[in-house]
Amino acid sequence: MAFQILLNVFLALVWMFLKVSNEPIDFLVGYFFGLLLVFTFRRFFPSRFYLLRVVAVINLIAIFIKELLLSNIAVLKVIIKPKLDIQPGIFALPTELKKDWEITLLSNLITLTPGTLVVDISDDNQTLYIHAMDASDAEAAISSIKNTFEKAIMEVSR
Amino acid sequence: MRTNDLILQTVTKVILFIILLFSIHLFFAGHYYPGGGFIGGLMTAGALVLLLLAFDMKTVANILPVNYRIMTAIGLLFSIGTGAGSLLFNVPFLTHAFTDVYLPLLGKTSLHTAVLFDIGVYLVVIGVTMTIIQTIGEDE
Repeated sequence: MAFQILLNVFLALVWMFLKVSNEPIDFLVGYFFGLLLVFTFRRFFPSRFYLLRVVAVINLIAIFIKELLLSNIAVLKVIIKPKLDIQPGIFALPTELKKDWEITLLSNLITLTPGTLVVDISDDNQTLYIHAMDASDAEAAISSIKNTFEKAIMEVSR
Repeated sequence: MRTNDLILQTVTKVILFIILLFSIHLFFAGHYYPGGGFIGGLMTAGALVLLLLAFDMKTVANILPVNYRIMTAIGLLFSIGTGAGSLLFNVPFLTHAFTDVYLPLLGKTSLHTAVLFDIGVYLVVIGVTMTIIQTIGEDE
């Protein structure tokens, strides 16, 4: 992944040296041709073609913005309701993510979407404890988190 | 009872470099814009304090095997040396010299001996702040 990006930048620089220019446009042209070369020989590399991962990152950002809007509207509904009929509670979310940064990213995404908040992580990093504004349907919350954020993060780090 | 500091530690690993880069920027901005050795040193010390908060003291001592008392002394030597250097040229103590130099790649660069004095201030501020915090923190 990182090696492919470095190779691509290196190819763009070589292109600039061949053209004997220091214009940004020549860097971009060289980057484009380097991208074509890296794509053609993508089976050389141990990890997959890196543009797929960039697309996965953009997809994750889009999912986050969508969830942020939806959950904000949900919290707004609870606030302006005359009757307070929520059941706050803490539930455990078993996670399949392994690396530190994946778990941190998942925790921060959960915390940033209103209504849910990561309170603690178990010592073996396998369970997140989440405080929910409405824990009456914890199963639904778990499955929704698993299907959106966790899946998108796995797409990035696969 | 050790809590799991995974999120704090992971975020620290990323944020630390941004804070340190910002402190270097503040240090070099000091001549024409707000900033300088004092605030740059405090910002660097703040980044190190964040490390101390996220990890324990032994780990930070392994990452940065720096004796902060010696660092303070070196900073004072820098500042005094800059002041004493002006005596060699028969001008009053702490007179600064500056010149414009054409360096390759960088183009026209103004070099000023006040930067050396500011490096001294920077090192002293880091050294004193970290000494204070470590001395308080080591009280078991």
